[in-house]
Amino acid sequence: MKQPLADTIKIGFLAIATLLVNACSNDHTLSNLDATVFVRHKGADMPAYIKGNANEKIFLITLHGGPGGLGLGFRGNAFNQIEDNYGVVYFDQRGSGMSQGNYSEDDVTIDVMAEDVLALVKVIKRIYGNDSRFFLLGHSWGGALGPATLLKDQSEFLGWINVDGSHNPKDLYFEYIRNFERVAAAQIELGNSVPFWESVYDELDKVDADEVSLDDFSILNTLAFDAEEYLNDDGIINNAENGNVKVSDYNILTFIWNLLKIQSILDEDIIGELSFTERLSEITIPSLILWGRHDMVVPEFYAQEAFDNLGSSDKKLVFFERSGHSPMFSEPNQFAEEVMQFMNQNK
Amino acid sequence: MRRKLRLLLLCLFLFTVFSYGQIKSKSQTTNTELPESFLDRTEFKVGFVGTVFWSNGLSVGAEYLWKENEKTKTRNDKERTNTHQFLFNVNLGFVTNFSSKTDTGAYTNFGLTWRRTNKKGKQFNIELNPLGYYRSFLPETYEVNGDSVDKVFLPGRGYYAPSLSVGIGKRRKGKVRSGSYFNINYTLRTPYNSGALPTFSLQYGFRFNFKNKKQ
Repeated sequence: MKQPLADTIKIGFLAIATLLVNACSNDHTLSNLDATVFVRHKGADMPAYIKGNANEKIFLITLHGGPGGLGLGFRGNAFNQIEDNYGVVYFDQRGSGMSQGNYSEDDVTIDVMAEDVLALVKVIKRIYGNDSRFFLLGHSWGGALGPATLLKDQSEFLGWINVDGSHNPKDLYFEYIRNFERVAAAQIELGNSVPFWESVYDELDKVDADEVSLDDFSILNTLAFDAEEYLNDDGIINNAENGNVKVSDYNILTFIWNLLKIQSILDEDIIGELSFTERLSEITIPSLILWGRHDMVVPEFYAQEAFDNLGSSDKKLVFFERSGHSPMFSEPNQFAEEVMQFMNQNK
Repeated sequence: MRRKLRLLLLCLFLFTVFSYGQIKSKSQTTNTELPESFLDRTEFKVGFVGTVFWSNGLSVGAEYLWKENEKTKTRNDKERTNTHQFLFNVNLGFVTNFSSKTDTGAYTNFGLTWRRTNKKGKQFNIELNPLGYYRSFLPETYEVNGDSVDKVFLPGRGYYAPSLSVGIGKRRKGKVRSGSYFNINYTLRTPYNSGALPTFSLQYGFRFNFKNKKQ
């Protein structure tokens, strides 16, 4: 009876040792990075997934949307091409994805989250050397967190890439209403998905046109994503490729719980409140603004607003004519080309 | 109005039928005399624990039989005998996500199990573990305080993690491998970020009683 028990214990220890080795291994080879490193800052442990080719020690730090999105959510054809040339850092922000920690709701502010990004820069310098250089890219909500970070310290970054970024959620609600009216009229005239676009007018009648409310904002935000699906069905925007996020990368229950939690904390401070428009002039590093022409979630109005207000002398605005909110998935080759050209010019 | 009346009449009818059934069924409870020996009263268990897609691992544990009684019920002239047990239980487990390195942890918990076993050995159990601890293990981690960046030794975080499991099983009376179990487990990890994270997992494994003679 004793021998089988001893064998079982040995197998158990061996299995646990294998699991531990797997859980802790990282590949920091600069030409082929594949590492997961956690940044511990102000009560939060946040994973940074570092991938790609960082032979030149140039890293593109990405800021996901949401708040509460997924760091690895960027991965796909476009970012695969970027990874071939540069190191790319996918970062689960505080309270998002697989981030964990112990902090109060008061510690969840855009100010602290911007400090988290600067802490990430320090960690990468610690691992790969002080000669590491950085570009910052933000998509959607990341387009608000990006300016918040740069306004604290832009000296660490060679350039800022704004992808359909929401630098001005304060006025987004009213721009939703204006944009829906404009696009619905145009699509009805073209005869595209007429019942849907007519129903958009009904939805607009239901929301308060004078005052922002979180519930109404949520209705319009959801409607914006629906609208992009109809634009896709009618051939206005390209099919979006599926990203490279594997089902196993994120525990979906943890992700959803984090998403709901972080949004319940941050939304009140963001929607109808937060705006960096007036301070964009303080950002003077080279900037690239990439926008889907048919973005219904953060309408194209904000692309021009960002471009006009940024203080950079070297700035460029590119519209993707066949894209909505995520041009990296609907026009991946052109997207990768623009990003790499910008990085090549400013590295 | 007529629909409400019909619903009320239906409820009264069901109440009458079940009340009559309860009068007809007789139940008798007998406390079982338990063996003195610790090992006789203890089953060890080992099994899989995880969510399949995101985390997989091993769990080991023990269950010490605290109380046992046999309930015999007679209903419609049929006699049914079920064994009801209360057991103290302790678990120790380790889980990881082979893909992402971000969901690795070990846990231990202590609590009480209620188990019902029917004549055929089929079991149903509810396991409540109010005392639980989960320790996450993170890969390479750096702590940033101002301008200082320090590598963290054995990075991870500890959480209070009470849990509740509900499951089924099968008893193999008198055998060393004395049973099998399949549970659905709900664990709360707190404080997690700025709240309490609910997690679900599956547990499947075998129980052993080394005092039993048969293989």
